[in-house]
Amino acid sequence: MDLKVHYYYCLHFLPKVSKQTLKFMKLIAIILFAACLQVSARGYSQITLSETNVPLQKVFQEIQQQSGYDFVSTYETLQEAGNITVKVRNVSLQKALEECFKGKPLIYVIIGKTVVVRTEEKTEYNASTTISTMALTPPPVEIHGRVVNQNGVPLQNVSVLISGTKTGTTTDKDGRFTLTVSNNKNIVLEISSVGYRTKNVNVGGQTDINIILELEVTGLSDVVVVGYGTQKKADVTGAITTISPDEFKSIPSTDVAQALEGKVAGLNITQSNAIPGVSPSILIRGQNSISANTSPLVVLDGVPYSGDVNNINPNDIAVISVLKGPSATAIYGTRGSNGVILVTTKKGKRGKASISYNGYAGTGTYSHELKPSSPQQYLQKYKWYQLETNVPQNQLSPVPNAPGGNEYLNYEAGKTVNWLKEVSQPAYITDNNLSISGASDNVSYYISGEFLKQRGIVKGYNFGRNNIRANIDAKLTEYLKVGTDLSYDAQNYDGGQADLLMAEEMSPYGTLYNGDGTYAEYPDNPELLYTNPLLPLYLDRISRYKRLDGLGYAILTPSNIAGGLDFLKGLEYRLNASYSYDPSQNYTYQGRAAGSTQNGNANLDDETDANWLIENILSYQRDFGVNHIDFTGLYSAQKFNTFTFRGAANGFINDLLSYNNLAAGATQSASSNATSYTLLSQMARINYSYKNTYLLTLTARRDGYSAFGDSTSKYGLFPSIGVGWNIANEKFMENLKAINNFKLRASYGKTGNQAILPNQTTTTDATVLYPFNGLSTIGTVPSVLGNTNLHWETSTTLDIGTDFSLLDRRLSGTIDFYHNDTKGLLLKRQLPTITGYSNVWANLGETTNQGIEISLNSMNIKTRNFRWESGVVFATNRNRIVDLYGNKQSDLGNRWFIGHPINVIYDYKKTGIWQTSDSAQSATFNAKPGDIKFADLSGPNGKPDGVINASDMSILGSPDPKWTGGLTNIFYYKNFNLRIFVQTVQGVLQSNNQLNWIDLAGRRNIPAGLTYWTPENKNNSSPALSYTNTFGYGFPQNASFTRLKDVTLTYSLPASMLSKTGLSELSVYLSGTNLYTWTPWFGWDPEATYLPRGSTGASTNFPQERSIVLGVNITLR
Amino acid sequence: MKKYFIYTLILASVVITFASCQKSFLKENLYSSYAPETLSDSLGVESSLSGLYYNFSQWYTYSGEQGWLCVWQGGTDIAYPVQPVGWEIPYTNYSLLISTDGAAQHAWQWAYRLISDANTIVQTLHSSATEKAISEAGRNEDEAEARFFRGLAYEKLATFFGAVPLITTPVSGPETDFTRTSLDSVNSQIISDLSFAAQYLPDVNNVKSNSAGKMYERVNKAAAQQELAVAYLRTGDPTDALVQTQAIIGSGDFSLIDKRYGVDLSQPGDYYHDMFIYGNERRSQGNSEAIWVLEQENPSTVNGGISDDAQMRRVWGAAYYQMPGMIICDSLGGRGIGRMRLNDWVLYGLYQNGDIRNSQYNIKRNYYYNNPTYAKYGQLIMPGDGGSVKNDTLFKICGETTKWFAFDPNDLFGYATIKDIIVMRLGETYLLQAEAQVDLGNYADAATSINVLRQRAFANYPAQGMITAADIQSSGNQGLDFILDERARELVAEENRRETLMRMGLLYERVENHIAPSEEASAGLLPYPIQELTNDKAKYLPIPQSEIELNKDAVLSQNTGY
Repeated sequence: MDLKVHYYYCLHFLPKVSKQTLKFMKLIAIILFAACLQVSARGYSQITLSETNVPLQKVFQEIQQQSGYDFVSTYETLQEAGNITVKVRNVSLQKALEECFKGKPLIYVIIGKTVVVRTEEKTEYNASTTISTMALTPPPVEIHGRVVNQNGVPLQNVSVLISGTKTGTTTDKDGRFTLTVSNNKNIVLEISSVGYRTKNVNVGGQTDINIILELEVTGLSDVVVVGYGTQKKADVTGAITTISPDEFKSIPSTDVAQALEGKVAGLNITQSNAIPGVSPSILIRGQNSISANTSPLVVLDGVPYSGDVNNINPNDIAVISVLKGPSATAIYGTRGSNGVILVTTKKGKRGKASISYNGYAGTGTYSHELKPSSPQQYLQKYKWYQLETNVPQNQLSPVPNAPGGNEYLNYEAGKTVNWLKEVSQPAYITDNNLSISGASDNVSYYISGEFLKQRGIVKGYNFGRNNIRANIDAKLTEYLKVGTDLSYDAQNYDGGQADLLMAEEMSPYGTLYNGDGTYAEYPDNPELLYTNPLLPLYLDRISRYKRLDGLGYAILTPSNIAGGLDFLKGLEYRLNASYSYDPSQNYTYQGRAAGSTQNGNANLDDETDANWLIENILSYQRDFGVNHIDFTGLYSAQKFNTFTFRGAANGFINDLLSYNNLAAGATQSASSNATSYTLLSQMARINYSYKNTYLLTLTARRDGYSAFGDSTSKYGLFPSIGVGWNIANEKFMENLKAINNFKLRASYGKTGNQAILPNQTTTTDATVLYPFNGLSTIGTVPSVLGNTNLHWETSTTLDIGTDFSLLDRRLSGTIDFYHNDTKGLLLKRQLPTITGYSNVWANLGETTNQGIEISLNSMNIKTRNFRWESGVVFATNRNRIVDLYGNKQSDLGNRWFIGHPINVIYDYKKTGIWQTSDSAQSATFNAKPGDIKFADLSGPNGKPDGVINASDMSILGSPDPKWTGGLTNIFYYKNFNLRIFVQTVQGVLQSNNQLNWIDLAGRRNIPAGLTYWTPENKNNSSPALSYTNTFGYGFPQNASFTRLKDVTLTYSLPASMLSKTGLSELSVYLSGTNLYTWTPWFGWDPEATYLPRGSTGASTNFPQERSIVLGVNITLR
Repeated sequence: MKKYFIYTLILASVVITFASCQKSFLKENLYSSYAPETLSDSLGVESSLSGLYYNFSQWYTYSGEQGWLCVWQGGTDIAYPVQPVGWEIPYTNYSLLISTDGAAQHAWQWAYRLISDANTIVQTLHSSATEKAISEAGRNEDEAEARFFRGLAYEKLATFFGAVPLITTPVSGPETDFTRTSLDSVNSQIISDLSFAAQYLPDVNNVKSNSAGKMYERVNKAAAQQELAVAYLRTGDPTDALVQTQAIIGSGDFSLIDKRYGVDLSQPGDYYHDMFIYGNERRSQGNSEAIWVLEQENPSTVNGGISDDAQMRRVWGAAYYQMPGMIICDSLGGRGIGRMRLNDWVLYGLYQNGDIRNSQYNIKRNYYYNNPTYAKYGQLIMPGDGGSVKNDTLFKICGETTKWFAFDPNDLFGYATIKDIIVMRLGETYLLQAEAQVDLGNYADAATSINVLRQRAFANYPAQGMITAADIQSSGNQGLDFILDERARELVAEENRRETLMRMGLLYERVENHIAPSEEASAGLLPYPIQELTNDKAKYLPIPQSEIELNKDAVLSQNTGY
């Protein structure tokens, strides 16, 4: 066959050859076939030439030495050619000759190991080209290959097609195939199989190829991870969203939650404080609890995880499932109410060992910068301030500081400080990940390590993470498989941190340094309200978290035991045992330079958490004709222990010992605290499907929790039911080819929130210290009134949804509607203080959440070289308080209102600014021109009373978004792919502390661009500087935003180029995060919470960062 | 072999599972806090008693609202707020004094917390466990201490609110069905508690000791007697009040300070001022006049030295640091904010010449520029001084009491005022005695009582300072005005002036006479004039609205006027 092909080519070309050369051609045609084979058998010699202006024969000699080919030519020919210049490196003979003859009237023919060179004849056919092409056509090659799935299982009947042709074959039962091709260098094999993602393999000269096919995410036979097992996506009745690592692979997020922001409908992730290494908050389907934890339960590799998602290296993640509906979450009982995030880490894949490196480095700046006023603006502001506060003209001072003060002296000397610049620095991040994985017949392994280092935009904010993971599975016998997932994670947040808020409010005429070069404690001395924002850099601070997780499991499959227990086919018993150990250290030393008023304060804070879990899982799965049954049962026990230790000392001789020797302090104090709780659980789930069309899921979980009150049984029961109908599988749908998949599903069930922390149900005293004769004496005072009836919060949820894919899966999506009713909310019920206590925990309140979630994925354009895919998510949630204390009464003190969301902005309604022209009217409201004009909505009698007081406050909105959305567009062009993600959060009202100076407008700097009312520049939106906000108005403002969140451009080296390097993957990406934000909000990033002076956490305000990173993924196989 | 392995594995897992499948697995243990019933032995009771002091002291040290201390002084006859923060404002503009008042609620809460604390101790002392652990004498002494605080808390409640719910046993759950008990019942509970305390508390020389000596800062018999005298005076029983004050004076355990002593002997000053210097204030430090002092220690040297960050220096101290040419220093008492100022009546009309209580060491009126870089360094600050910024000698550096001067060189900003708190001293005993005598119409004896203080206050007594029965009798309110004037002279910035006025039922009248029509107000120099004070509002504070609302199973009636 090979010969025929070549012969055909020869014949095909021959007629094109001119008659003059025909004779010659015939002569050589006979020996041609052998020559072809020989050349290709030897492969192409690699020739390197570097000759300048030399005779042709010299070049021929060189080529002959390098390749072994002889040259035949005439003297005239060579003379005619003259001298040539040629420079090539490692090229084929053909290429070398072409370079030599470039621009010369010469042609060549290769016969055997001889190159015949002669003068080109002016004919209409370029004989030399055709002949040389013919001569160089390589012989046919046989390619062998094997196709397996992710678990190394051979795949039969997989189609293997040469891309762009109709030539192809299919795999046998061992997954093997053989293809004979004319050329194995420049062809691409298209490997496809139903349910798997089609893969294009660049053969690149290989003759033995191993191919792993991955499950197609949108495919029908896709398997999703559900609680305590996996399930075919088509069979799922609950609301589950699966996210593949592709979604965050090239986004340089230090934790998974950041990477998921905006990408899953109903998963609301907010980075209210962007301090490096601090995880955002996660809320699934709105807030249903008021006092209890609202974060979802994280389950890592099947085991409830007590750590932070931040402890998980995103590079190790194979897949994430977000469980939202009751059918999916009810099996997590008292911990299921807030939704569940299942994280599965990678396992070793069958085939050759692979070594992967993923690294990135980048830099960052403020994403939405808010500059403080310049010195000129600051002076102008102070001038206006004095005029408005009626300081007589002849007494005006240029700066708030009196003559003699630092600020005044600096003003006179013209010395200014750009405080924002002083506290800022270019951020950087570097991350290095290395993983080794592979599998043999019986053992698979995945071992990885990470080294991450990050420096924030504000000085002193550092984050480092070192992470090691080893996932090892071994099949000991046919019936017993054991494995372990081990991971160690160390996080480091060390360092004193500069204070951004102080930098913003500090006078530009402050003093940065003392005479001796140290930071001045009070830059505006004698103003003591504002301390140097850089002073905290003098703080010695250790902040480290470590975490060790170990999971060991054994899976017993009795039916595989030799001797035959066939009747037990489908039965599996799994034992999970896990342990985690989680110590953290927070040590600080505030020395004199850092502003200690007690000759140095050392504080040590150690916390150790440990937790063990044992789970017994029995599962049974079997098909009986068209009936499929799947049962899972669980019995588990878990215990958590927490121990904290705190030590403190102050009064040190000098600051040399830092926090290392508490005994060197004049006074020491120590405290410790221990808590412990246990959980005992049983769970059962039955999945039944009939003809893959009618689906039923029944689950029930019973959880016992030690912290529930002694007057309860300590057990809660949480049942759920889910039904599904795969309409596309019905006979009557057979003709509707446009619909590939169409499922309706509904689920209804109960989940819980265990809500209560340990030791909340008993009445306890607190210990205090009181001095007698200079000696500390222990005192006890009543502290907590117990309630022995405390139990879980219960959420009852109805979820109705549909999954569909249309038009040959070009368009697929999921739509869910849910209604959630949470009762027995744990609330601190206020008590008359006559009891001696101000509150007691009780299960009282009720909230509802209802919403719609839509996710759509589409393949907009699909051609050979270009693909455009889009993904849209949309979610809206309506949160309402139904009852609080059992009497349908709102709680004004806590700003909780029946019929409204848990979080509201309850404030006065600003209608404008009092102008000079309406001073008569403003006076009746005790206001002066320049003050905020509030709407007189009501009074004690429910009617406007001409007085602005608390009765004029109303609900203006909620800081919870009305709706959120995300749009991902991915463009694939050849080896490039561009991913653009836009996030939007709409309908957010937030109090804006930037607009609120309280009574400090005269004493602090204000942001540049912030307008204020003056008699000369009257506006109707911002008050005058003299306004002191005696109403405590919060200045609510629209904080909705749309953000160009991530843009990532990836280039993957084509397989043909990779083959020369021995790599199986090499891709380079450039990624930008938080690139641009559209928002009406004035201030730092609208997503970030910016706390005002004096509130806890104000010294660590940290706005969002815009970062650009360059990364590389390399895999060696 | 394989099978045995499997069976072993299954067996092991079953054992592990069911070993934990016991009820005890879900039992909860308290590891880090005490349940009240575990504090029944002598050490347990002793720690509960210490807790009483901690809770009690927070009346003085509470820092959550800086205006808290001003509530009890500003807007009375002696002082008014000039840089108010919040809570004190309704106590000048009474139209704002409504049932949701913050200060009223805080006072209420403070008292009931103390009562609950004491009730728990009293109940524990009558438990069989404690009866076995502590002798009867010991239990009586402990109960006396607990009931002292309970009586004191009810005394404050009765003074401020009138009839209040009377609770004498600890609550066991979330009770919400309280009603106001008659004032008579509350009064008899107070008398009973304080009488018990006066009977069983040790006298000052026999208080309990710790390893550093006698704990004079624990309450003693005289403290109970003094509080009992106050209660008798309020309830219209001057005869019994007199018995108590005479017992204190007659015990000979206390004597007025009339000689210089203590830590600042080498510094210029006087003996009255010596009493208010940190390091001199306690009995063990030579203050023989002290009946009951709350100790405060700098937390940088004593753990738990303060129960909160007391604000006295900041509210009383002049805000001189805000003046050009002034820097914070020790001799000016550290950093004050001048939240309120003494009124002109106190500064210019109250004292006679020669009264030591008005010496430059006790009321500071003159300030000198103390910043060496300032042009006028060393010169007296005059009104209207200053270059581009004028000095304010009216509000920021007007005359101030030095009783709360405090300075920590390591802490210029000084959030906390770390200074002992003199709760009761013999000087006041004479004034209570005089008040009882006035109530009984015995003006001559009242004059004698007051002259004891006058003799101490005037260097050339009796040439200067001596008063007569007629001086008292001729003053307003059948002589009580003189008592109040003398209390202001002796106890300014020490006594809770509002409490005294409310106890005597003279708040309305004194405010009307001393502040409302004053020249300061008419000259516009009183930034927060007294407005809309009514007799009802002067009589009682409002029952906190939240208490009324939270007490959902019974009605707590509101005081008239709210």
